[in-house]
Amino acid sequence: MILFEGPWTFLSVATLVTMVAVAVSILVASLRVMRGPSLPDRVVALDLVGLLAVSVISVVAIATQQPVLLDAAIALALIAFLSTVAFARFIEWQGENAE
Amino acid sequence: MSLLGLHLGMAVLWAMATGSLTFPSLLMGIFVGGGVLHLLGPVLGDPRYGIRFYRAIALAFFFLWELFASGIRVAIDVLRPTLSFTPAVVAVPLELRNEAAIVLLANMVSLTPGTLSIDLSEDRSCLYVHTMYGEDPEAARQAIKHDFEERIQEVFR
Amino acid sequence: MNWVELIAGVLLLAGAAFVLVSAIGVVRFPDVYMRMHAATKAGTLGAGLMLGAASIVFGELGITVRSFVVFFFLLLTAPVAAHVLGRAAYYAGVPRWERTKLDELAGRYDEADGTPGELGRPVQRGDDIPYP
Repeated sequence: MILFEGPWTFLSVATLVTMVAVAVSILVASLRVMRGPSLPDRVVALDLVGLLAVSVISVVAIATQQPVLLDAAIALALIAFLSTVAFARFIEWQGENAE
Repeated sequence: MSLLGLHLGMAVLWAMATGSLTFPSLLMGIFVGGGVLHLLGPVLGDPRYGIRFYRAIALAFFFLWELFASGIRVAIDVLRPTLSFTPAVVAVPLELRNEAAIVLLANMVSLTPGTLSIDLSEDRSCLYVHTMYGEDPEAARQAIKHDFEERIQEVFR
Repeated sequence: MNWVELIAGVLLLAGAAFVLVSAIGVVRFPDVYMRMHAATKAGTLGAGLMLGAASIVFGELGITVRSFVVFFFLLLTAPVAAHVLGRAAYYAGVPRWERTKLDELAGRYDEADGTPGELGRPVQRGDDIPYP
C-alpha cells in the first residue's frame, strides 16, 4: 500500500476509514445473505455485495496508486449485474413451476 | 439522431483545434457544438435539437441531484429508531410511447427518493411502482408524472 | 494539504457513509422491496462517490473517463437489476410487509398460462384504475 508508507495525510486517513467502513458493510450485508428468509432477499444482499466490491476496488486503486484496477471494476460490475439477472430469471422460473 | 453524431464530431474537432484533447476542452466543445446546432437546427431539419439538447443536460443534472437526495433520504430512514412508513404499490399510467423514454423513466424512478419500478403492463401503458411513502397514493402518482414524465417527454419530443 | 486531496477524501468518506447506510438498510428494512430501495439508491450513490474520488486523485483524462464509464454503467444496471428482481420476487409471491397500504398490482398476473420460460406480466389494465 503505497499511500500508507509516507507520512499520514488527510487522504490516507480517509482511505483507511473508508476501507474499514466498506469491510463492515460487506459483513453486515452478508448477514442478510445468511438470514434470508427468502431467495430474493439473499439475491438483493448479494447484489449489494457486488456493488461494494466495485467500491473496494476503487478505494484500493487510490490506496495503491494503481488506476489499472478500475478495469477490473468494470468487469466486476458487469458480472454482478449478469448474476443478479440470472437469479431473477431463476426465481421467476421457480415461481412458475412451484405448483 | 444523425445530428447527435455531428454534435460529437464537432466536440472532438473543437478539442483538437484548441490543441488539447482533455476532458474540460471536450466538455467545452460539446457546449459550443450545442450552441451551433441550436442556430443551425432549422437548416439541418431539426429546429428543436438545441432546445432538446439543453433540456437533456438539465434533466441529467436534475437526476444527479435527485440521486443524492434519495441517498440522504434512505440514510434518514435507516438511522431513524422506528420504521414509520407506509409502503404501497402504485400504478402510474404512462403517456410516453417511445420505448427508450420508458426505459429512461423506469431507471430514473428507481434511483430517486422513495420509489422503485417493479413492472410494466403488457401494452406499455402503465408502470407499477413500489413507493415507501404511500400515505397518499395519488400524490405519489402525480409526483412521478410531473417530476419525470413531463421532463423526459420534453427531451424526446 | 492540497485541495485535490481534501475533496477526494471528503468524497471517499461520504461514499463510505452511504455504503454503510445501504448495508444497514438491507438488514434492517422489513421486506424485500424496501431492502431493494436501500441497496439500489444508497449503494449506487456510495459507489459513485468513491469512483469520483478515484478520478479526482489520479486526474488524468483516461482514468476520469474510465471511472465515469463505471459510474454510468452502475446507473444503467442497478435499477434494471432491481426491476427484474422486484418483478421476480412479486411473481414468486414473496410476502410484502403487513403495513403495505395499497397494492394495485395484486391479481394482475395472468394465472392461466403458467408455461415455463414464459415470463409473467401484468395483464391489460383493468377498469378499476381511475386513469385514462
